[in-house]
Amino acid sequence: MDEAGSVRVLVADDEDDIRELVCLAIARAGATVVASVADGTAALAAARAELPDLAVLDVSMPGATGLEVCGALRADRATAGVRILLLSAGASLDDVARGLAAGADAYLAKPFQVAGLVHQVRALTARQPA
Amino acid sequence: MTSAVLGPPRPLRRRWGGLAPGLDRTLPTTAMFAAVAVLLGAGALPVTDGELVLAGLTTAFVAALVSRLVPRPAGAGDGGLIVPVTQLGAVALLGAGTGSAAALFLLLGPVFSLVTVPSRRGLVAAIVGSAAVLLVPELLAGGPYPPAELPGALVLGPLVVGLGGLAVNEAGRRAERQVAVIGRLETERAALLTQVQSRADELDLATRMLAARAQTMTSVIDAVTEQSIIGTDRDGVIRVWNPGAEKMLGLQRPDVVRKRSIVDFHLPDELAAEAANAGSDAGLAALVHAAQEHGSDVRDWTYVAADGERRTVSVAVTPRSDDRGEHAGWNFVGTDMTEARATERMKDQFVSLISHELRTPLSSILGYLELVMDDEAQPLTDEHRKFLTTVERNAQRLQRLVGDLLFTAQVEAGRFTLQPEDVDLAAVVRAAEETIRVLAATNGVDVHVDVPAEALVVPGDAVRLGQACDNLVSNAVKFTPAGGRVTLSLRAAWRAADGTVVADERPGSVPVAQLAVSDTGMGIPAGEQGELFTRFFRASTARRNAVPGVGLGLTITKAITTAHGGTLDLESAEGAGTTFTLTLPRPTA
Repeated sequence: MDEAGSVRVLVADDEDDIRELVCLAIARAGATVVASVADGTAALAAARAELPDLAVLDVSMPGATGLEVCGALRADRATAGVRILLLSAGASLDDVARGLAAGADAYLAKPFQVAGLVHQVRALTARQPA
Repeated sequence: MTSAVLGPPRPLRRRWGGLAPGLDRTLPTTAMFAAVAVLLGAGALPVTDGELVLAGLTTAFVAALVSRLVPRPAGAGDGGLIVPVTQLGAVALLGAGTGSAAALFLLLGPVFSLVTVPSRRGLVAAIVGSAAVLLVPELLAGGPYPPAELPGALVLGPLVVGLGGLAVNEAGRRAERQVAVIGRLETERAALLTQVQSRADELDLATRMLAARAQTMTSVIDAVTEQSIIGTDRDGVIRVWNPGAEKMLGLQRPDVVRKRSIVDFHLPDELAAEAANAGSDAGLAALVHAAQEHGSDVRDWTYVAADGERRTVSVAVTPRSDDRGEHAGWNFVGTDMTEARATERMKDQFVSLISHELRTPLSSILGYLELVMDDEAQPLTDEHRKFLTTVERNAQRLQRLVGDLLFTAQVEAGRFTLQPEDVDLAAVVRAAEETIRVLAATNGVDVHVDVPAEALVVPGDAVRLGQACDNLVSNAVKFTPAGGRVTLSLRAAWRAADGTVVADERPGSVPVAQLAVSDTGMGIPAGEQGELFTRFFRASTARRNAVPGVGLGLTITKAITTAHGGTLDLESAEGAGTTFTLTLPRPTA
């Protein structure tokens, strides 16, 4: 959390429109977007630099996929505690299972409802230890 | 073996004719009588009574003539004795007429004829006849013997004739028996020969049939040019190699048969991986272990052609038996799937593309719509809300279409999985009614729900079963004109052993849940009902009446039903309505 007590969120999606939509939803959830990036490599760097409370990652991204970023964050002691929400166009059970197996805390299939995303952000960050 | 080689049996009687009683045997005796006649004419023999001599010769020649002219029927019994007995009479007359002992030599002919008759009566006739020949001349004219010698002659003559005749008769009878045995053997030989000939003909026929069958099989196998048919022995050495195999693998039959192994045309790594996976030995064992276990096996293998090109081939492996039913080798029938698999991969890639490229913009459309429509700070005018609601409805329709496309692609690719749990079908049906209620009211269709008050639980995927139910109900409402009626009827039932679903439990029946969705709509033409579950198929009634849809709903519903071990049946009459019946297994109490 930042100094104002707001939850700090990293957003990574190569689609500008989606990225902006996610940022708006996060704002509705009362959280703060500390970094908004368009590829996996930048996401990993921003996560290590910002150490956010929550990372909202698209699965299909250039540089590194959301699953790879997820795995790298979990493997790094400094970022292992970051909550991770994966967003993906893949909606099958296999896709969800792969996401959770990579270390994500939650998985949301596109198209998603903004209200659903807001709810997920609140739920994930509410579990954040004080 | 043919009859020409063995030759027909020759009549045995002709070869043994000298021993058989017959007319020819009178000939020597007749000749002797002729000689006596000549000697009498020449004065070499005395004539004491010309009448008796004439009677004797006449009797002899008449007997000879009669025996010549009158054929003696086979098995004539004692008829064969008449001529020699008559000849004995003739000898007696000549003996009396000549008074010469020389005439007695004429006895030999008829006596021999008599004793060679198989019956003992011939022997008796010979003894009696010879005694008569000795006695008659004495009685008629005083014979050639002095009276003192007559008793001795009467004893000795018949005795000699009897004993000698007995020996001859016995030899003749023995010979007859041998002839009979030989005749029987000859008959048996002929029968055996016939049998052998028959077997030879059958063998010949079977051989020709076998050759014809082999020719047919060869021509059929050779006619297969687009599939490889490879037969091996038990060790995998190739014995059969058809033109399809030549084309697929680039090697001619003479270069392969008995020279190469089926394993030579496989990737060693692929065989090793399969061996590791199945726990079998590498090489041929990896290829055939599944067929060995299950009787047959069909799967994709990579064939490596002579030029090194790799082909993805769907290979059906089956064991082959020899004529004694013992395992003789393996058959490998391969269909080149290289292009098909490439197309499937492209289809998968296309589906992934749709997945990403359609779902992502849909996310933006629906997400921003939601933000705009739910923005309490800047409420929409009624008109704007109406417009955006239309946008949202169509975006959601597009989302459903994308979802349906993805789902059918998953079903096609065999990647459709269920998340099983206990599902209350009654709740699912009520939810479907709630979902469709607005549309039904808009269309003027009355929806009637008939579900049990208590839960009707089946094992299944709640989301997918809801989707199936929604599809059926949505179709029913869409296909029913205003004023029509849609009925959703759910009941617990039992499926009997013969497949029929009955209301009451019966022996051997299994519990099921049955949902019938009936409408009074436009119906489906009988000729189209078989295609109704085919992807993208739309009934002509749907097209004519501009019912919206793309033809995926029933395909999906059928796939979901099948994945749950259930059945989806259809009854429809054009213009009268349609009933879809979804039957799912439910747990045994």
